[in-house]
Amino acid sequence: MSITIPIGPQHPALKEPISLKMTFDGEIIKDADIRLGYNHRGLEKLFEGKSYVQNIYVTERICGICSHSHTTCFVNGVEKLLGIEIPKRASYIRMLIGELERVHSHLLWLGVAGHEAGFESFFMYTWRDREIVMDILEESSGNRVHYAINTIGGVRRDIDETQRTRILNSLKILKERTDYYKNLGTTEPSFVARLSGIGILPREQALSLCSVGPTLRASNIDMDVRKDDPYLAYDEVPFEVSTADTCDVLGRTVVRIKELFQSYNIIEYILRNLPAGDIKAKVPRKVPAGETVSRYEAPRGENIHYIKSNGTEKPERLKVRAPTLANYPATVAMLKNGFIADIPLIFAAIDPCICCAERMVEVKDTKTGRAEIKTFDELKKYSRDFYKNHKKIKKDTVWPF
Amino acid sequence: MMEKSLISRLKEFLAEKIVESANPSKRRIFIKVLPENLPDTIQILKEKTGFTHLSTITGVDKGETFEILYHFANKIAVLTVRTEVPAGKPEIKTITKIIPGAILYERELQDMFGIKVMEIPDPRPLILPDGWPEGNYPLRKNWKYQRPEEIIPGGGK
Repeated sequence: MSITIPIGPQHPALKEPISLKMTFDGEIIKDADIRLGYNHRGLEKLFEGKSYVQNIYVTERICGICSHSHTTCFVNGVEKLLGIEIPKRASYIRMLIGELERVHSHLLWLGVAGHEAGFESFFMYTWRDREIVMDILEESSGNRVHYAINTIGGVRRDIDETQRTRILNSLKILKERTDYYKNLGTTEPSFVARLSGIGILPREQALSLCSVGPTLRASNIDMDVRKDDPYLAYDEVPFEVSTADTCDVLGRTVVRIKELFQSYNIIEYILRNLPAGDIKAKVPRKVPAGETVSRYEAPRGENIHYIKSNGTEKPERLKVRAPTLANYPATVAMLKNGFIADIPLIFAAIDPCICCAERMVEVKDTKTGRAEIKTFDELKKYSRDFYKNHKKIKKDTVWPF
Repeated sequence: MMEKSLISRLKEFLAEKIVESANPSKRRIFIKVLPENLPDTIQILKEKTGFTHLSTITGVDKGETFEILYHFANKIAVLTVRTEVPAGKPEIKTITKIIPGAILYERELQDMFGIKVMEIPDPRPLILPDGWPEGNYPLRKNWKYQRPEEIIPGGGK
């Protein structure tokens, strides 16, 4: 006898609204059905009514983690339509931010994997170390989440000498920490036992279901847009495509850890060979009529934008396909014949998007109703001062209700 | 160099099926086929030229016609197969028998453009909500967003 249970759209095991209708036979998943649209914002319609410059900021807000991948994909396409070459320094800075983003995204994923597998200290460690990358990103772009570094024709902020040395110093710590995770994540017996053999996606199935990114590479297919279709200056940077042949969640973990090391090397290469010169080229507002397909290797896999222009300052059509959508058919295949307890782990293994927290907070005093903007440091100071002056509650105090 | 030989192989295998072809920039190839030839073309592409990875399907509203673009990628190039269907009779055959991973993109195409995908194994809406009024296809150019009147449950204005 089989029963059907809905999981989602709001469910403690899932981090984003998606509805999975599961058919079970006892503990075993017999069928899974995905229903999307709970987070649909109509962005493709919105793009058509906005200018190219405005669209940079709209594309940035598609995702809260790989925001840079969408803007880079978009501006690379627009620059191709305009027929301009951006300064070399600009493309290096774009790659730098892109790789830093990959590092923060993969560290975040490692934490989520640890959390879903019941390895909470792993989650705490990786997320602590992720703060190092987040600090670098904040320092070099001004923002933690939406870096807003891209503009048509180049980038908006330069990297100076102090930032360069500071990033290189932070990289040393990150490399050391990641090496520790590599040993821990791939040798700790209970963690490995929890991950291996879960969510099997054979090579042929991964190909026929058109999955992308680390999910595909963990099924031993060395497809990576950075290698196959190099954009920016990836053809100048030495790196290897990371793969695994176990086709399971453990393989996806290994691929991501390997990619972290590759990213550290790329960042180091970029910083040591940063070309001098301008960071932005002058560009016209209107884009000549034409069409282009732009691809980008986001942390989650291939991101593709199709841009069609009609000679005005607004695009005729901008189609976006983010990597998570491409991995859904494969997820259904992975879930089949698995256990109920493995659903969160398998689903998390494709790394569906989760939004990040904000840094600047509006603080509202509940007593006076006055609102003010405080930085994180000011807020910390405020809380310390508050508790210093606050009357301590004595033991056995009767609450004044 | 690989790209040149790929284009010549495409021309050899597809021959008269290609209506138009273009190679506007490095690693980007565009070909146009008639809608009735589409499944055969994709079958040949998959078997003979190694285009197994479908990146996505894009729909474009061109007024009189709808353009449907199938973006394929392999290690050599990104190939876009385009086809056009009349706006009066927007119908296209499914390619899920050849590329099973195309199912979500075809369902999205049905939702957003109202292009009927014939013989699709799963025709249910994917993105639009269950109570979405029929005949409303958001990505068509003549569709304008209108904020629905707010109804507060339990009365009140």
